[in-house]
Amino acid sequence: MNRIEVSHLIKNYGSNEVLKDLDLTVGNNEVVVMIGPSGSGKSTFLRCLNRLEEPTSGEIIVDGYNLSDSKSDLNQIREKIGMVFQHFNLFKNLTVAENIMLAPVELGKMTAEKAQTTAKKLLETVGLADKYDANPQSLSGGQKQRVAIARALAMQPDILLFDEPTSALDPEMVGDVLAVMKRLAKDGMTMVVVTHEMGFAKEVADRVIFMADGHIVEQGTPQEIFETPQNERTKDFLNKVLNA
Amino acid sequence: MKKLIVFLSSFLLVGLFVFGHQAQQPVQAAEKTYEIGTDVTYPPFEFANEKNQYVGIDIDIMKAIAKSEGFKMNIKPLGFNAAVQAVQSEQIDGMIAGMTITPERQAKFDFADPYYKTGVVMAVQKDSKIKGLEGLRGKRVAIKTGTSAGAYATARAKEYGFTTVTFDDSDNMYNDVVNGNSAACFEDEPVMQYGIKTGLKLKIVTKPAEGGEYGFAVKKGSNPELIAKFNKGLAKLKTNGQYDKIKAKYLSTESTKKATVDHSFFGLLKENKDALLSGLGQTLLLTVIAIFFATIFGVFFGLLGVLPNRFARGISNTVIYIFRGLPLLVLALFIYTGIPSLTGQKIPAIVAGVITLMFNEGAYTAAFVKGGIGAVSSGQMEAARSLGLPYSKAMRRVVLPQGIRIMVPSFINQFIITLKDTSILSIIGILELTQTGKIIIARNLEGFKIWAMIALIYLIVITVLTWLSKYIERRMAN
Ligand SMILES: Nc1ncnc2c1ncn2[C@@H]1O[C@H](COP(=O)(O)OP(=O)(O)O)[C@@H](O)[C@H]1O
Ligand SMILES: [Mg+2]
Repeated sequence: MNRIEVSHLIKNYGSNEVLKDLDLTVGNNEVVVMIGPSGSGKSTFLRCLNRLEEPTSGEIIVDGYNLSDSKSDLNQIREKIGMVFQHFNLFKNLTVAENIMLAPVELGKMTAEKAQTTAKKLLETVGLADKYDANPQSLSGGQKQRVAIARALAMQPDILLFDEPTSALDPEMVGDVLAVMKRLAKDGMTMVVVTHEMGFAKEVADRVIFMADGHIVEQGTPQEIFETPQNERTKDFLNKVLNA
Repeated sequence: MKKLIVFLSSFLLVGLFVFGHQAQQPVQAAEKTYEIGTDVTYPPFEFANEKNQYVGIDIDIMKAIAKSEGFKMNIKPLGFNAAVQAVQSEQIDGMIAGMTITPERQAKFDFADPYYKTGVVMAVQKDSKIKGLEGLRGKRVAIKTGTSAGAYATARAKEYGFTTVTFDDSDNMYNDVVNGNSAACFEDEPVMQYGIKTGLKLKIVTKPAEGGEYGFAVKKGSNPELIAKFNKGLAKLKTNGQYDKIKAKYLSTESTKKATVDHSFFGLLKENKDALLSGLGQTLLLTVIAIFFATIFGVFFGLLGVLPNRFARGISNTVIYIFRGLPLLVLALFIYTGIPSLTGQKIPAIVAGVITLMFNEGAYTAAFVKGGIGAVSSGQMEAARSLGLPYSKAMRRVVLPQGIRIMVPSFINQFIITLKDTSILSIIGILELTQTGKIIIARNLEGFKIWAMIALIYLIVITVLTWLSKYIERRMAN
């Protein structure tokens, strides 16, 4: 079964065509890494997948639900597709634990007690058990991002979307976050990851997608993309990134 | 979100309804109770005594007539101009306010038989050498708006070569002359006599001119039976000697020379303590009620302004634009006198005052509510939505709590501004602190000391509020 099926996705901002007729399927347990130059539409694509952006046209099916169908409950679909943002977006008015517990409790997925044990467990898996009662503002960037991942996991999603989760971090923080993501991949989470961490892509990705200018230019296994890229633009991009 | 809006708007409507309804009851329940407007500052015809009760020739005559003719009435010291407009918009049934009968006024009012003969006199500083209108060339003259004496002076300004400056209160007019800013002032004889007897350092230098007559007035064609009752009662008072007694009570030298009054700051404070306290009470009450409604109004339109709906945002922006743009004074007069003349529905001054403040302060509140929510980064909403939280829950649990924290200082600031703005409502006759001051000054002509007192009271209250707000802000920050 495919987790995500995108066909003929077009997104315009006014007269600016940002996504130009994209097709993509993501299978169960698959880890897809998207790379490509800045402004090529990677974020926009991810945000269409959970409907933070409304596509101009095209079809997106997540877990069997058609997002553009007026009969499907967007909130219910979003419960199954978590998102991790570049700038974390932790709720500033809540503690670390409350950040994690808010959605499951508000949406009736868990009792408050169950949510507390879940929050504790999740914080342990991301290595932040001691930050349970902390204020998000007191955390470092890497810690914030791991809390954000725990928050997304609390809803027990089938799919996780990552939009440059390590781009806003100091270099020494990147490793901790990537380690958490690697473990998720190993445990079978379906993931779509936009990143510039080529090492992560090589090690974890089932498939690498190179996007440029609103098109999927090339896709394949990490080996295919990194070792034998076919398209000139892919080669050009990888040259710049890897020899930077 | 929808639920919240429905809740807020129904709350607002119910609130307005209950409030408006309550305040209207006395008007409806008592068909035989006439509402009679009068001036606030026109001794000896009307003024508040030391006990803050309304007395004066007009008041005593009106009361005596009501008693002899067996009708009930409420005297409402609205101020002369406000009373004129209130009669014309049928907010009140009639007015007795030392009002000279003129052909111009007769076009809009029906007058009862005149109850007092008077004339315009001119007064100057005690030691002035000016002896009449001839001495005014090149000088400035103080007059009071809307009075016949003022019209008398204005009509002669060109001939005698003086300019005029207008005041709303007799006290301010007198003081302009006492302080030497103006060379003279014009006023009806009894009014001027009373002022001088009360200690005003002026002297009358002309004979009464343009003998005029004061009359009780109702809106033209609106109330013939009230006019008939007044005429009948007045005739009785004149025959049984009561009329002369009333006149003597306020104008004979003996009766006005009461026990010497303590005119020191603290003497005046002690004498007017009760009136000032009750004025302060009204100010605080008005502030609290107004803030309550303004907050509901402001939060409602502020939230409307951040909804992901262009129509809702348009409404919010328009409401904020209109009510922030209108001067408070204009808004108050429009609501109090304008709306009733359009709808035929009376509004009690206090309700008009609260509505005015609700619109004005509410618009400012809406603007900072909108701004406060807008200042919460959009990533917060996106993160909440990405977890599957519906808009309303995301708003309530994530965005609003952060927005409110941003708004707290503005809320407190708005409270202080509202408190100060209530003073503007003295224009529609609400007996709050400023109006209380005007009334006290009308009686004792101690403008400087009483205004100093009032300013001090405002400052003290605002200082306490500022302390309180700092305390709350600090608690919120922790
Ligand atoms: N809200 C928006 N309004 C208008 N243009 C946008 C908006 N968001 C993104 N864009 C434009 O869409 C294009 C793709 O942006 P984005 O998806 O963020 O690219 P990437 O994530 O690959 O860097 C850019 O040209 C950007 O300027
Ligand atoms: Mg991006």
